[in-house]
Amino acid sequence: MFESLQHLVTGFGIALTVDNLFYCLIGAVIGTLIGVLPGIGPIAGIALLIPATYHLSATSAIIMLAGIYYGAMYGGSTTSILLNVPGETASVITCIEGYQMAQKGRAGPALATCAIGSFIAGSIAILGLVFLAPPLAEAALAFGPPEYFSLMVFGFIVLCNVTGTSLIKSLMMAVVGLIIGTIGLDPVTGVARFTFGSMSLLSGMEFVAVAIGLFGIGEVLANVEKPLAFLEGKVLVPRLRELYPTLQDFKKSIGPILRGTGIGFGVGLVPGPAPVIATYSSYMVERKISKNPEAFGKGAIEGVAGPESANNSACQSAFIPLFVLGIPFAPPTAILLGALLIHGVSPGPLMIGQHPSLFWGVIASMYIGNFILLILNLPFVPLFANILRIPKKVLLPLVILFCITGMYTVNNSVFDIWMMLLFGGIGFLMRKLDYEGAPLLLALVLGPKLEVAFRQSLMISHGDFGIFVNRPISMGFLLATLLFLLFPVFRIILKSTGKGGGFRGSMGGNKG
Amino acid sequence: MLKKAFMIMCVVCFMAVMPVQAADFPTKEVQIIIPWAAGGATDLIFRALGATTGKYLGKAVIVVNKPGGAGAVGYTEAMKAQPDGYTLASGITPLTILPHNVQTAFTYKDFEPVINVVSDPGMFLMRSDAPWKSLKEFLDYAKKNPDMITVGNSGAGGGVHLIALAFENAAGVKFNHIPFTGGGPSVTALLGGHVNAVSVSPPEGIEHVKAGKLRIIALFSEKRFEMFPDVPTVKEQGVDFAMGQWRGLIAPKGTPPDVIKKLHDAFKQGMNDPVFQKNAKDMAVNLHYLGPEAFGKLMGSEHELFGKLIKGMKK
Repeated sequence: MFESLQHLVTGFGIALTVDNLFYCLIGAVIGTLIGVLPGIGPIAGIALLIPATYHLSATSAIIMLAGIYYGAMYGGSTTSILLNVPGETASVITCIEGYQMAQKGRAGPALATCAIGSFIAGSIAILGLVFLAPPLAEAALAFGPPEYFSLMVFGFIVLCNVTGTSLIKSLMMAVVGLIIGTIGLDPVTGVARFTFGSMSLLSGMEFVAVAIGLFGIGEVLANVEKPLAFLEGKVLVPRLRELYPTLQDFKKSIGPILRGTGIGFGVGLVPGPAPVIATYSSYMVERKISKNPEAFGKGAIEGVAGPESANNSACQSAFIPLFVLGIPFAPPTAILLGALLIHGVSPGPLMIGQHPSLFWGVIASMYIGNFILLILNLPFVPLFANILRIPKKVLLPLVILFCITGMYTVNNSVFDIWMMLLFGGIGFLMRKLDYEGAPLLLALVLGPKLEVAFRQSLMISHGDFGIFVNRPISMGFLLATLLFLLFPVFRIILKSTGKGGGFRGSMGGNKG
Repeated sequence: MLKKAFMIMCVVCFMAVMPVQAADFPTKEVQIIIPWAAGGATDLIFRALGATTGKYLGKAVIVVNKPGGAGAVGYTEAMKAQPDGYTLASGITPLTILPHNVQTAFTYKDFEPVINVVSDPGMFLMRSDAPWKSLKEFLDYAKKNPDMITVGNSGAGGGVHLIALAFENAAGVKFNHIPFTGGGPSVTALLGGHVNAVSVSPPEGIEHVKAGKLRIIALFSEKRFEMFPDVPTVKEQGVDFAMGQWRGLIAPKGTPPDVIKKLHDAFKQGMNDPVFQKNAKDMAVNLHYLGPEAFGKLMGSEHELFGKLIKGMKK
């Protein structure tokens, strides 16, 4: 406990160097921009900026890329409130109450509550990270190949269950991702699989190409389709003096902020698109426990404060499985895993001990980053909102240009650009047909790990499948997976008796 | 007269098509293709070496990363480059392994050796609380229980896997080899007690040896470590075996010998530069100089050995 605080102090020493402060600021600003701009989300944003970090130290690189991730959570709320357009998926729920508040002329307090709530949540969640990550890393040493295998199976099922509207479609996407993940050198025998003689495919499908394609190009193409005047011209920018919430606003929001922090932190630790689930869960909780639920849907500040705090808190705690187990539970952390590997850092139980300056520096930078974002988002909201006035015909081609140049710089490979464009087309079709990209991307990243863990387990046990159920942790995850698979069945039973079952339905309904 | 004019013309023509004039080499920057991503051990070493070599060469040395295909993408490109000395590649152990595993357009024979810079010995690590107290106990147990001792490695068909296979042959035992995706994960699994031992190359696992959590049960170098003078090599203990992983520089086939010599001399000076020596020490790599001839011989013998090992593995 005390030791962690000591490390955190050294972490602040690292994060407060001029260089790292600068990269933290850059990350926060870019993150906010990405959150504001509907054409591009944190996944494609982080992937695009990985090449820009090649010349940085691993610590500076992750400080900047992590800043983009949580910065996007701040920025996403801006467009939700002002325009009823979520800048990224985690802000969908903020549209409901936030836009209503804006319609009543209370956009300022809504924005301020978001920023303050996010700051409080981020700060508390970081403390959680400080105290929980080291003991969890110690415990994670108990995870051998069978445990990793069962954990990842559990992760896939949970992720597919909570992503999108249809479990079948999500599972289909996960399987496509697993199949693409088999391309390249066989991890156990070293034989080339499905490369069709292409040298470029030997190390597998470049997952940055898939990420930028699905989430960058695909999103841009989907935006091209929308009517031209969709975004332009209807931006109502609040003035600075209208920003500050009243004392009553603050009293109303502090409870939701703290509850949202707790919910978000818990959700970030389990597999799935943490910020999205966190915002929905927090909104549901606030509506349920509110003394005047009739205010919800008409601009209740609780419905802004809770979810916005939850998504920020989830964002920070999602770093725990990434750093401690080396297993990303959601696409943005999967991209960060890629970035860590590029910089020669392989996250896992030993990472905190091996790269203390990176781990503690990044955590301290998150605290500083949250502070920067608070300052950035309060007085400069009008500035960021004005960015939405850039005409789409200028913005979207620019995004494509960034995607192509960014992709080339990852491996200096033209082949990757073609792959990215191919996946851009696929991403567009998936959007049209209502398939989610997240299970595909995550399966692509985790698939090879899943395969390795499975085959390692069987090699250790000389082919005996009992190794997965004989070990208690592994057994626990498999049982949990089974429960999750049976969950829809339970829900049907519950529904027929007339109770519950609202959560998933409203999730789907509010999407997009 | 006419004959003389013809001869002059011939000489002029010949001069025009002569590929490289070693006397004025280099006239522009020299680039090193690293077939791996930026930030890895090979990348860091050659970036550091390039930085100190520039002043001895007279022109800057640039490092270009061409990752992909487990090295195949970068090597294919380096092989096809003009053999004029301006394009080099980092030649490391996998160059002599990969062609046995997959169909590649190149082998080490498509390159000219320039200089070897690093050679990291292979070793086996195990937990300090493992039941085997010495190499002899370990090997005796392995002999009695073939295929039962699990030995992790950083990747199937990779350097340390093949070192483990070669050691197995030399010691007359049989291990159960478990591939991981990198040296870090294999050491993590060892610390968690999920495998009995791991085959690694320094600096992997060294800090845990220093911390007393792991110990070196078998060291495959010719000499003992400076860091751990008490750890004997396997050679001292009666198993005639030494093997490591090397990292050097190679040029496309056909690069003129005098150009190679110039490059070699400059990089050797760069290697001896105190700045580079300190960098190498910080990175905990074992510097091991070999000239072009010795480096070429090393690549040849390793290529042959790996070919045999991989054939045995696939059976």
